[in-house]
Amino acid sequence: MSHHKLEVKDLHYNYPDGHEAVKGMSFCIHHGESVGIIGANGAGKSTLLMLLMGVLFPSEGEVSVGDVHVTKKTLPMIRQRLGMVFQDPDDQLFMNTVYDDVAFGPRNYKLDENEVEKRVLQALELVGILHLKDRAPFKLSGGEKRAAAIASVLSMQPDILVMDEPTAALDPKSRRRVMDLLGSFKHTKIVTSHDIDMIYGMCDRTIVIKKGEIAADGATSEILVNAELMEACGLEVPLALQNCPVCGTQK
Amino acid sequence: MSNIMDSLYNMRLLDDLARQDTVIHKLHPLVKLLATVSYLTVVVSFGRYDIGGILPLVIYPVMVFTLAELPVKPIVLRILLVSPFIIGIGILNPFFDKQIFVLGDREISRGWVTFLSILLKSGLTVTAALLLIATTGMDRLGSALRMLKIPRIFVLQLLLTYRYISVLMEEVARTLRAYSLRAPKQKGVHRSAWGSLAGQLLLRTFDRAQRIYEAMCLRGFAGEYNTGGFGKLRIGDWVYLAVWFLFFITVRFYNIPMLIGSLITGVIR
Amino acid sequence: MHMADALISPVVGGAMWVATAGVAAYSIKKIQTEMDEKKVPLMGVMGAFIFASQMINFTIPGTGSSGHIGGGLILAILLGPYAGFLTMASVLTIQALFFADGGLLALGSNIFNMGFFTCFVAYPLIYKAFMGKGYSKRRIVFASVLTAMIGLQMGAFGVVLQTLFSGKTELPFGTFVLLMQPIHLAIGAVEGLVTAAVVTYIWNSRPEIIERAASGEAIGNVSIKKVVAGMVVIAMVTGAGLSWFASSNPDGLEWAMIKTAGTAELEATGTLHQQLSDLQTKTSFLPDYSFKASESEMEQVVGEGEEVWPAVSGGTSTAGLVGGGMTLALAVLMGLGVSMLKKRKNRFSA
Repeated sequence: MSHHKLEVKDLHYNYPDGHEAVKGMSFCIHHGESVGIIGANGAGKSTLLMLLMGVLFPSEGEVSVGDVHVTKKTLPMIRQRLGMVFQDPDDQLFMNTVYDDVAFGPRNYKLDENEVEKRVLQALELVGILHLKDRAPFKLSGGEKRAAAIASVLSMQPDILVMDEPTAALDPKSRRRVMDLLGSFKHTKIVTSHDIDMIYGMCDRTIVIKKGEIAADGATSEILVNAELMEACGLEVPLALQNCPVCGTQK
Repeated sequence: MSNIMDSLYNMRLLDDLARQDTVIHKLHPLVKLLATVSYLTVVVSFGRYDIGGILPLVIYPVMVFTLAELPVKPIVLRILLVSPFIIGIGILNPFFDKQIFVLGDREISRGWVTFLSILLKSGLTVTAALLLIATTGMDRLGSALRMLKIPRIFVLQLLLTYRYISVLMEEVARTLRAYSLRAPKQKGVHRSAWGSLAGQLLLRTFDRAQRIYEAMCLRGFAGEYNTGGFGKLRIGDWVYLAVWFLFFITVRFYNIPMLIGSLITGVIR
Repeated sequence: MHMADALISPVVGGAMWVATAGVAAYSIKKIQTEMDEKKVPLMGVMGAFIFASQMINFTIPGTGSSGHIGGGLILAILLGPYAGFLTMASVLTIQALFFADGGLLALGSNIFNMGFFTCFVAYPLIYKAFMGKGYSKRRIVFASVLTAMIGLQMGAFGVVLQTLFSGKTELPFGTFVLLMQPIHLAIGAVEGLVTAAVVTYIWNSRPEIIERAASGEAIGNVSIKKVVAGMVVIAMVTGAGLSWFASSNPDGLEWAMIKTAGTAELEATGTLHQQLSDLQTKTSFLPDYSFKASESEMEQVVGEGEEVWPAVSGGTSTAGLVGGGMTLALAVLMGLGVSMLKKRKNRFSA
C-alpha cells in the first residue's frame, strides 16, 4: 500500500528569527508502522510535526504522503489522511460539546448530517466515551479529554495518526488506558513523547532527534537500550530496563 | 481570587442546568429566545408608576422554574446580586420625586413607587435572562442565533469565547495564586507587575489562539463555520410561543390585578 | 457602567440595538473582505482573555484601592477596531447571559457604549494618530490614557442619555452627568494605565504583534471618515430635534427627552388600544363597576407616557392592592400546582 507511506526528504526549516530548527532530516514511514520520535526539549520534535502536517512549510526539502507532496494546494487532501492529536486537549477541543467537537472535521468536509452522525458515534464508541457525547469539555477528566481529542481526529477517518505527547499529564491508569487504546488501532502511528517507557511499549521503531538532526533511526528494542546514545541525546533508558532499585537486580 | 472561583462555579452551574431533560429544555432554542425577548420587552414597556400591571408577569418565571425543574435557591441568589448600578440610580428617585399620594390609608412618595418599579423590573428581567441560559445552554443558543441569520463569524467567535473562559480563568487564577504566595501583604497586583503579569497572560493567549487555529485547520477549517442541521420547530414549540405571546399581550393591555381586585371589592361592597 | 434592562425603555433599547447591529454587520463585512480567517479563533480566545483579566485587581498607587480593566481599548489595539468591536460584543453578550450584567434588551446600548466609542471614535482619532509618529514608551502611555479616558467619557455620557431618554429614573440631567462623568474619568485613567503597561510589555517582547495589528487592519481613511461623518450627521439631527423640544417645553432638556421617548411609545400602542377597547365594549360581560375601573386604568397605562400621574382614588387603589396580592398568590399557586402534578406523574411513571 504505497499510498499510505509518509516520506521526508532532506528537510530543513529556519524560523523567521534565523533559528535553524530542522537540519536535513530524511526518513520514510510505511503503512502500519508505529514510530516513536524522541529527543530532548528543543531538539525539533514539534517543528518536525508541524512540517509533516503542513502547518509550517520547509525552507528546503519536502514531505510527501503517498505520492503527493505537501503543498498549499494539496493541504485539504493531506489533512484528511493525516490526523493530529495535540499535546494539550484544551487546544483541540474548542467546541462546547464533545459531539460538536468530533463533528467539526466531518462537517468541514461537507458530509451530510447523517454521515456526520454515523462517524461521530463510531469514533466515540471506538475510544469508549459514547456516554459523554453531550458533555462540555470542561466537565471531562484529563483521560476523557484525551480520548475526546483522539475521537475528534478519528472521525475524519485518517490513514495516519500523528500524536504529540499523548500521555502527558495523565494519571497512571488513564495513561495505561490511552496506551491500550492506541495499541488497538491499525493506523500508521507517529508519536512524539518524553515518556520513553510508553514509546518502548508501543512503538516498533524509534527515531532519535538531536539539535535538529536525526541521531538514530531503527528498531526500538535496539535504540532505547543504548545507554550511551540516549545519554548523549539528553534522554534516559526506559525505567523498565533500568536496574531494579529494590532488589538490585541487573537488567 | 474568590471572585474567579465564583464566576467559574456560576458558569458551570448554568451549563449543568442547561443539560437537563425537561419539557422546557426539550423546546426549540429559537422559541425560548423569542419568548424571552418578548417577555423582556413587555416588562420594560410598562411605565414607571405602574406596578400593578406588571405583577401577572411573575407567572412566566414561576412556570419556567417549575416546568424546567430548576433549583430556586442558586438562581435567586444570583438575582439578589442585582447590579449595584440599578440600586444606585433607583435609590435616588425618592429624593427627587417627593410628591405624596394616598394608597389605601397610607401616604407614600412617588419616588418610592418608581424605585420599587425599577427593582421589580430589574428582578424580572434578570430572572428571564438567567432562565433562558439555564434552560437552553450556550451551544444551542448559538444554533438559534444561526437560525436568525446572525453571521457565522460572530457565532463561532462567541462560542469560542464561551469555551475558553473557563480555561483562561483557571490560568489567571493560577497566576494570581503564584503572585499572592510571593506577595503576601498586597491586596492587588502591584504597579511594577501590571505589564508583565497581564502581558504574559496575553502572550500565552496569543500562542494558544495560534494552536487552536492550527487544530481547526488540520480538521479542514477554511474560514467557514459549519453547524449541523437545526431541528425543525414542532407543534409543541409553536403552542408554547403562541400561549406566551397571547399572555404577554393580554397582560400589557388589561390590568389584571385591577380587574381581579375590583371584582372582589365590588362583590364585597 | 452596564445599562440594565430595568432602566431602559423598549424604544431606546431597540434603537440602540439597531445601531449596534449596523456597526457589527459593517465590522463583519470588513473582516470577511480582509479574508483574515485566522483572526476568528484569536478573537474568540481574546474575548475569553478579557473576561478572565477583568478578574485581576490592579492596585492603584497611592490610593490603597484597586481597579480592573474593561478591555475595550486593549482589544482595539491588538485586534484592530473591527475585530475589537466584535470581540467586545461577545464578551458583553456572555456577561449579560450568565452574570446578569446589563440585560438582553440593554445589550445593544452596552455594546455601543463600551465598544463603539472606544473602537471607532477614540482609538482611530487619538491612539492611531499618536502612534502614526512611531512607537515609544512615553507615547504609548500618553496615548492609551487619553484614549481610554475619552472613550469612557463618551460611553458614560451614552449611559446618561440612554437612561434619561428611557425615562425610568427621576434623576435630573445635570445631577446624573455629575454622578457619571467624574467617576469615569478615574476609571478611564486606570484603564489607560493598565492598557499602556500591557501594550508596552508586549511591544518590548513581541513587537510584531503590535505592528501587525496596526498595519493589518486596513482601516482606510475613507471608511473612518464615513463613520465619523455619519456620527456627526446623527448627532446634529438629534441635537436639532432635542433643542426644538427643549424650547417648546419650559421644564428643560431632560423633560423633553423623556417626552420624546414617551410619545413614540404612545403612538405605537394608540391604535391597538383603540381597537381593543372597541372589542371590549362589544364583549362586555363584567359588572359595570369593575369594567369602568379597568378602562380608566388602561388609560392610565397608556397615558403614562405623557407623565400624567394617575389620579387614583382610595377605592381603586384598594382594589389594586387586593388584586395585586391575589395575582401573586395565583402565580405561586400555579407554580405549586404544576410542580405537584409533575411529582405525581414521576411517581406513577417510576
